[in-house]
Amino acid sequence: MKNFSKKAFALAVTAALTVSMAACGSKDSSDNTSSSQTANSTAAVSTADTAQKKVSLVLSTNWGEGDSKYNYFYPKFQEFQNANKDSMDISFETYSTEDYKTKIKTQISSGNLPDAFTYWGGAMMNVMVEAGLLLDVDEYFKASQTVKRENFEPSSFSYYTAADGKTYGVPLESTRGVFLVNTEIFKQNGLTVPKTYDELKQVSKVLNDKGIIPIAMASSGGTPSEFFFSELYNQYNGAADELKNLTASRKFNTANAVKVAANIQDMINNKMFPKDTVANGGWAACLQLYTDKKAAMTYTYPWMFESIPEEIQKISEVVPIPKLPDADIDPAAIMSGFTVYGFEINKATFNDSEKHDAMIKLCDFLASDDLSINLSKSGMIPAKKVNVDMNGQKVIYQKMMAYAADKKLIQVHFSTMPSLDALNMFDSSLDELFIKALEPQAFVDKIQAVLDKNSK
Amino acid sequence: MKSKINKLTLPVLFLAPVFLIYTIFLFVPMLQTGYYSLTQWNGVSEKVFIGLGNYKELLKNNDYWITFFNTLKLTAVSLIVQISFGLLLAYLLYTKVRGMKIFRTVFFLPVVIAPVAIGLMFSLFYNSEIGIFNKILYAVGLDMLQTNWLSNPKTLLYAVMASQVWQYIGLYVTIFLGALQSIPEDLIESAQIDGAGEVKTFFHVVLPQLSVFLNICMVLCVTGSLKAFDHSYIMTNGGPGVRSAYLGVFMYKTAFGNSDFGMGSAITITIILISLTITLLFNRFSASGSEN
Repeated sequence: MKNFSKKAFALAVTAALTVSMAACGSKDSSDNTSSSQTANSTAAVSTADTAQKKVSLVLSTNWGEGDSKYNYFYPKFQEFQNANKDSMDISFETYSTEDYKTKIKTQISSGNLPDAFTYWGGAMMNVMVEAGLLLDVDEYFKASQTVKRENFEPSSFSYYTAADGKTYGVPLESTRGVFLVNTEIFKQNGLTVPKTYDELKQVSKVLNDKGIIPIAMASSGGTPSEFFFSELYNQYNGAADELKNLTASRKFNTANAVKVAANIQDMINNKMFPKDTVANGGWAACLQLYTDKKAAMTYTYPWMFESIPEEIQKISEVVPIPKLPDADIDPAAIMSGFTVYGFEINKATFNDSEKHDAMIKLCDFLASDDLSINLSKSGMIPAKKVNVDMNGQKVIYQKMMAYAADKKLIQVHFSTMPSLDALNMFDSSLDELFIKALEPQAFVDKIQAVLDKNSK
Repeated sequence: MKSKINKLTLPVLFLAPVFLIYTIFLFVPMLQTGYYSLTQWNGVSEKVFIGLGNYKELLKNNDYWITFFNTLKLTAVSLIVQISFGLLLAYLLYTKVRGMKIFRTVFFLPVVIAPVAIGLMFSLFYNSEIGIFNKILYAVGLDMLQTNWLSNPKTLLYAVMASQVWQYIGLYVTIFLGALQSIPEDLIESAQIDGAGEVKTFFHVVLPQLSVFLNICMVLCVTGSLKAFDHSYIMTNGGPGVRSAYLGVFMYKTAFGNSDFGMGSAITITIILISLTITLLFNRFSASGSEN
């Protein structure tokens, strides 16, 4: 009797397990059943009601809470969502930048790409282009009543133009790299802003003696060092062309690249950067040294302007980076400036007749003048030709735009590096260069090796 | 015949769910990974079969060997530090300390904290501007030892290792303490009556009684080290370069960072092979040890 009870109990447990597993397994089918029931009932409603049916779309971005653009983007998005609540059901997905990159890559692999999403172009979108997942945005411009290709700066499309000559992203954000000096620190220490490398060395010595970091520049995951590297790179003859042709030539191993790497190591030897370049790397940590007045100079980008307190903006000036000892081009004549961000459209969704109109509406919102103007308050330079009221902008934004007025804009490796793994290698090798774990030539060779591997 | 079937039904029914779960979530993905490792695949486009191409490239890849040796170093350091400190602390608690339960809880506390939190905490400790490590060194007059822990190629890997090694010592303290408490007291008493001192008692009476637990701890330690990921990823993202990365981090960065799922899969297979080899060798040695 006791054995029988045991057996019965065991069988009951097994049955329960099996049933629960079967239930899990059949979840999809039951979902399908309910959706087919919904479909049947939907079919029964009038044609007028069908026209009112809500379209579900997914919009993904890294402009979530904590991002400098969130406060300027989200209220506008909510307005758009409310205005279209009867016809559209938009899922808004946000992640922090690094998680966002991983999320999109995972979604690419799982065939679950969002319907519209802000993303980078160049090497970062190539996988999606090759897989035919992205819409040629000229199709969108053709279908849109309000947004046309001519509304954008023509050069801004190059970052989103693939090898097949088609454009796969709508550019939203252009940018400029700025070298900032804290004029108050310079004045307090009786220093003048350095224009040459020798002057920079002297200034650095004085600042170091006073316990001030000369330049807030570090490298963690290649930020912000990779942009600094490119800015220095452009001080050499032929560098601009080398950068422009990098996508096609796949040649990173140039004499100029080795010179820049050697100069960076010399800057490190002369204690121009923070001692700990890993802990102080990344956009935020690096800028914080400057905003906390621990560093006298820094190199940053407009997407960080939101993190610069107003009093620091007032005492900051945008100046040229001092000319490197063996450089050829006057840094006062150039400035890095390129398209860095925009949005991409899921081709399948756009071509889905049920979602087509809603997608155009959503894309029109993302590419609207109103949104671009609003986002400019975060420091973003619109890629679209819109009238930005300078008086409503941050002080540092105004200074940057005034400085940029007569500068020749130059490219950076970030936008012309031909493949994602080469870009990642560039970033991680810069981290090694900054801790002096790599010699300049070895640094250059590492990146070239990845490019050579891919071209085979 | 019928009773034989009846006898088999129950075990089969019990084993079926586990068998299914392992098959679906472990063996099938493992086989798939094996196949992917023989292809060139970016996760989206068609897979191109390239045979052992990824493995050949891997063998020539300097970064792979750096992460391989980093993983081996972590395994060695974990075995030496975690097992010996775990055993030592457990023995001290067992023999000397009042309020043993409180100490046991304190030692075990880090084990239940998420590795992400521990990693973040240590990266703050190491920070040259605000970190506490350099300040402590300065306060105790060891300022010559101050360094940029995560920016110095000489200290970087060990600084990252330290957080993981420290976190799990408590696990081994708890296991060893439980094991020590299961040793019959009369064994120890009779050894001491026979004139064995504390050291002799420990090595000749206590330690042999712990051999099974030692084996378990060593297996846990080795497998934990081979799959190490969190601390390195959180503290340095495996960098600069791959200097503080283990094989798991390198695999993740290759597959998800570079969208090279073929190569990422090849790295995964090598991790599995290394784990299997170490486990088999370990089992063989421990079996022959127990026979002796």
